[in-house]
Formats: sequence, C-alpha cells, structure tokens
Amino acid sequence: MSTDQVSRKLSINPKAPTVRAACCEPGGEGVAGAPIIALAGAPNVGKSTLFNALTGLRAVTGNWPGTTVDVGRGAWRFRAGDKVCQCEECDGGCAANTATEFTLIDLPGAYSLDPLSPDEELTRTLLLEAPAAERPDVTVVAVDAAHLARSLYLVAQVREASSRVVVALTMTDLARQAGVEVDSFALAQGLGCPVVVVDPRHRVGLDNLTRAVREALTRAVPAPRDMPEAADDLEREDERFAWIADVVSAGTARTGEERVSRSDRIDRVVTHPVAGPLIFLGVMWLVFQVTTTVAAPLQDWLDTLFTGPISDAARAGFAAVGLGESWVQGLVVDGLIAGVGMLLTFVPLMALMFILLAILEDSGYMARAAVVTDRLMRRIGLPGKAFLPLVVGFGCNVPAIAATRILSDPRQRILTSLLVPFTSCTARLTVYVMVGTVFFGSGAGTVVFVMYLASIAAVIGVGLVLRKTLWRTMGAEPLVLDLPPYQVPTARLTAAVAWMRLRGFLRTASGIIVVTVCAVWLLQSIPTQAGEAFGEVPVQDSAYGVAAQRIAPVFEPAGFGQWQTASALVVGFVAKEAVISSWAQTYAVEEPADGEDAGDFGTAITQAFEDSSHGHPLPAVMAFLVFLMAYTPCVATIAAQKREIGWRWTLFGVGMQLVVAWTLAVAVFQIGQLWW
Amino acid sequence: MVARPLAAVVEAFASGASSLAEVESVTGLDHDIVSAAVDHLVRAGRIEAKLLTVGCPSGGCSGCALAASDGAPACSPQASVPGRRGLVALSLRPVHPVQGRPAE
Repeated sequence: MSTDQVSRKLSINPKAPTVRAACCEPGGEGVAGAPIIALAGAPNVGKSTLFNALTGLRAVTGNWPGTTVDVGRGAWRFRAGDKVCQCEECDGGCAANTATEFTLIDLPGAYSLDPLSPDEELTRTLLLEAPAAERPDVTVVAVDAAHLARSLYLVAQVREASSRVVVALTMTDLARQAGVEVDSFALAQGLGCPVVVVDPRHRVGLDNLTRAVREALTRAVPAPRDMPEAADDLEREDERFAWIADVVSAGTARTGEERVSRSDRIDRVVTHPVAGPLIFLGVMWLVFQVTTTVAAPLQDWLDTLFTGPISDAARAGFAAVGLGESWVQGLVVDGLIAGVGMLLTFVPLMALMFILLAILEDSGYMARAAVVTDRLMRRIGLPGKAFLPLVVGFGCNVPAIAATRILSDPRQRILTSLLVPFTSCTARLTVYVMVGTVFFGSGAGTVVFVMYLASIAAVIGVGLVLRKTLWRTMGAEPLVLDLPPYQVPTARLTAAVAWMRLRGFLRTASGIIVVTVCAVWLLQSIPTQAGEAFGEVPVQDSAYGVAAQRIAPVFEPAGFGQWQTASALVVGFVAKEAVISSWAQTYAVEEPADGEDAGDFGTAITQAFEDSSHGHPLPAVMAFLVFLMAYTPCVATIAAQKREIGWRWTLFGVGMQLVVAWTLAVAVFQIGQLWW
Repeated sequence: MVARPLAAVVEAFASGASSLAEVESVTGLDHDIVSAAVDHLVRAGRIEAKLLTVGCPSGGCSGCALAASDGAPACSPQASVPGRRGLVALSLRPVHPVQGRPAE
C-alpha cells in the first residue's frame, strides 16, 4: 500500500457519497488509513452473516450520509501473518504485511448495479460512479453457490469497472446437497478474480478470505472485463448472462449424488398430460366426498338445533311477551331463523372444505392442477393468461372479473369476463351440497364434483363458441407458470386461510343474506287479494308467491316449474347463498299439506321436484343444478362486469348466461328423463 | 453454449412454453441460468410475475382486508410468509419498439 493512499485527504459529499468519506466521518468506525473493503452481494446470500463474522461487535449501522439507505460499517481485524506483498526486496515489514485492520462496509443487498432501488443506486454510486480514488480498495462480493448464476450478475457488473474484486463463496453445503460441486479454482479463472469458499456461520474460510484480500491489495488494480459493443440494454445484459453461463459451466460440476428432486419426481406424474388431469379429478372428488361425509352429522345437528330448540325458544319468547303468531314472530322465526339458520348449517361443511383446499394449496399441489388446466385451455385456443382470472373465479367471481385487467387485449378481457360467471364459485357449493344431500345421500360429494366438472365444461364450451363466432382472430399472450416446490402444509397457514374464507362466508350470511331474507319476508307478507291482512297471507297468495307463479312455467321444460323453486332462483340473482335461505323461508311459512311437517325441508323439496318433473325428480334436480351453475352468479358480479366491460357487454353476458343455463337445463332434463 | 441466454428465454416465452421446465428444455439452458434470467427479466420489467391463489372468501374482495385494489389475489397465504411461495404466473410485457424497454 502506498503512503499517499494512507494519508489521502477525505471529503464528504452527500450528493455523491463515497466510502472513504463516510468511513472517517465522526462516528464512523473506520480508522483513517486502513484499507477500505466493501462487502457487496445479493440479498439472502449470507452477506450480513459474513459481515458480522468479520467485524464481531466492532460494527455500527446507520443511514449512509445523504441517503436513507442503511449501511453497516465496522473494523475487520486480523493478525498480520505470512508475507503477502509481491515486492522482491521486502522483508515483510511493509504496510501491506503489517496492516492488521481493514474498514469493512456492508453495502445494501443488491442483485445488480442497475439503479432500480435506492439500495442498488447507492451500491452503484459507491462501486462504479465514484471517482476511482474514492472507491473501496477491494470489493468482496458474497456469492451464493447454491444459486450461482443469480449471484454472479453483480460480479459481472463489478468486474466491468477498474477495481479489485474478491469473491466470497457461501452456501457450498447447500449447493452440494443439490448435487452441484463448485470448483473454486475454475470459477476464479472464469471470473478473473480470487474465489474463497467461506462458511461464516461456522467461521470457516475467514482466514483465507483475509489473506485473499491482503494479497489483492498488494496487486495493481486489474483491468476491467472485456465488454463487446452492445446495441441496447438487453444485448448488454445478455452478454453478461452469456459470460455467467460460461463461468458457471466451467466452474461447476454435477456430482454423482445428483438426484432428481422429490418435486421433480412427483411433477412428472401429476403434471403428465394424461395422468395429471385424472389425478386432479380424483383429488377433487376425494375432497368433496370427505367434506360431505364428515360434515354431514354436524350439519344435521345444526339443522335440528335451528328448526327445533332455537325456533321453539323464539316462539315461546314471543308468546311470553304477547307477540305470538304476530308478524314479528313470522319475520324472526320463519324469516331469519329459518333462512339464515339454514345457511349457517353449512358452516362445518364450508370450514372443512376450506381447510382441505388450503392444505392442497399450501402443499403446492394446486399449482400443479393449475398447470394441467392451463394446458387444456391453450389446446382449445383460449388465451393462456385468461386462466388466471378463471382460477380466481372458482373462489369468487367478483375479484376474478377484476383480475381480467391483466389481459392487455380488450377482446380477451371481454371474452374472459363473459366466461368467469361460469366458474363455480364457493357460494354455489352450498346449494350443490344441500340438494345433493337431499336427493343423493352419501353420493352428495360426487354430485358436487360433477357440478365442478360441468362448470369447467361450460367455460370451455362457451369459450369455444365465442371464439368461433365473435372473436375468430384473437391473438395469444404467452404465459409461463413458475411452480413452487412441494412443502409440508403448516397448521397456522392452513387455519388462517380457511378462517379467512369462512369469515367471508359468514359475512355474506350475516349481511346481504339477512337483508335478502327481510326483503323476501316482506314480499311474502304482502297480500294480493282483498280481505287478507299483512303478514297473515298464505305465501302462495302473497306478492312473492304470485310473482313466482308467473315465472315458474318458464322452467317446466327443465322439470322444475314449481313456483317455490323458481322464486329461489330469482332471489339467487342477489347471491347464490340466498337460494337456500329464501327456499327454506318459503317452506317454513307455507302451510303444511296433508299433515306434512313444514319444518322438514328435505321432504318438501323432494315432493316439489317429484311433482314438477312428473315422476322424474333426479333429472329435474340435475337440470336445476346445471341452471344454478350457469346463470348469473350475483349482483356483485354484474356490478364488477359493468365496471370492467361496460353495460352493453354485461347485459349481453347476463342474457347469454340465462340462455345457456336454460338450454342446458332443458337438455339435461329432457335427455335424463329417458333413463331415470 | 447459448450466445444470448436472455433472448433465448424471452423467445421461449413468446413461442408458448408453459413452464420453466419447458423453457429449460427449449433453450438448452441450465435450471440455474433460466431461473436467474427470469428473475433478472422480472426485475428489469420485461416479464410480469403475478402470484396466484386458487380461492377467495365467498364474500369477494369487499370482505377481505388483504385484497389489492386492482383485484389481484394478494390474499395468498404464501405472500406474507417468507420462504413459502405459491404459484407464480410469468408473462412477457409489451416492449417499447424504439427503446427496447418495457412499455409503461
């Protein structure tokens, strides 16, 4: 080290901060004259661990002068050991050999020297843009051996400036576990700078690093890496990557221990073009089957609770205060308790389903299912990116409509917005399960599964028809899926996600459904004939019943032309959960026929489908479920569509959904009744 | 050896590769290089990375405090937990024809 270097006058210029200025300001940890070593590296490569190992407790952290970027500074002390200088006449007493301390600057983590963040801007300023005399004497770049290519981009850029560089290679144990053996000598040759293997957690290799830095200080500043002329930024970045690829190729070897990772082995099966979809279908069938089977006893218990003790207690309470058989009792018992209570019986089922889906999602399996679905969509010519909102749509259609904004082509956006309502959201699940349980018993899980398949088929079918008619020349937007590794699901995450989704269900039940129940109760209380009093009218003669009877014939060709069923579907425009509440409400207030127990909801709807289908209840039920799956999901979805694609396309979509739903329902019933 | 790894990755995206494994297969690049190249292209704004989630509360985003304003599924459990990652969709962003930079 030269004398003038030791005695250099340092300046502080916050607008162009330099390491030398900041190290020797008051409060700085640097010792005037000590070589300044910058420690750079991408985040999470072990840089801070290395900094702590080298400086011990002799470090301070604070904002870099003139910036808000946090930078650590500390003294890197060591014993003067072997002769490291290159001077032939030196007896080892020169400054390079006797120095026992560096000033170490822990630069903020940066993937590159492209100033994309304040951290990267500061690192770039200090290493590249400061005057050569103000730059660090040596830059130590921490490089993660397990992610070598990612870490070396920074090295490539640092090597483009005239500076001394030493690479500290961390995480070699993880690289070895992944089947990659790094040859530090070959790597050093490729990089054109020393490479030292370190393990700062166990203080391994620190002496070698110290020696490499001391040796680097005795050499002249090396010439920058040769850079060919580049036409643009991408070409320059590409040249760096080509250099990195060469260096990695020369400096690494796949060990004999290399194994195909567990994720890769599983992926070969679950994303297989044939086995993948079959496995996905099997998994989803299992989810629905487990959900309906396990939750059934709890659901029955809650149903008994709401229709029995809770309703009885409410009636007794109203009778005690003189309001027995009043409209208030009707609203509370036949409206809120019957409607909302029926919906709340689905809480155990929804909770279990959300837990199972959260486990599948957290484990990484759902990502594989997404790949399978995406592949299918591409094969039939639908835009790959449309897959994103459609996946969200299986949770809820409202955010799915908003998610169509990721599609840059307006035609793709409109097409996808029109397809989203056909994705079977979780709100429709309650109706599937309820109807499935009543008519198919233990096969309810299979019914739900079939409805999800029907939903996918509807998306594909309608998408194809729209592509062949309205948008024949729609371009494709490339999309690549980056799969997460498989991971063991955590109880905390699973519980958090399941609760978050269940809370959404409960909010709907306690908000919009309560309002809908009150509105339905009001309509069911309004008489349409003279001589009947408000709240004391048979429901079939109420405004609600009369209106529903006008609509019901539309559904006769589909086998569910009963006014009670038709009215539930009309209320379902508000929200699909409201189908159940209004249905339960209707039967709760309806006068029992032939001594039938009005509280036996299952018996009531079984009879309704039996009557309306003229002896073919199962095809009629399937037709009803298909209609429910395909027609307008809820008013919130309509509002979202209006916001995204305007009224014209929204109304077109609502009309199309009704036509598709009715046509499919009629087809299912008419064909189904030939067999059942 | 591939002379222009980034261009090769971009080309693989444009030609319809559906997964990173397919990009590796098409380009002949090592997994580590492809992974680093994609990370770089995402940072440089040439590729858009979007975290996906499969389900949402049935009440929609209005019932979820975590939802992004643009309707993006920011409620993914992995989004808030370091070290746990969900499915990420990567797509090319339109590039400005003159400057070679992603369009704003």
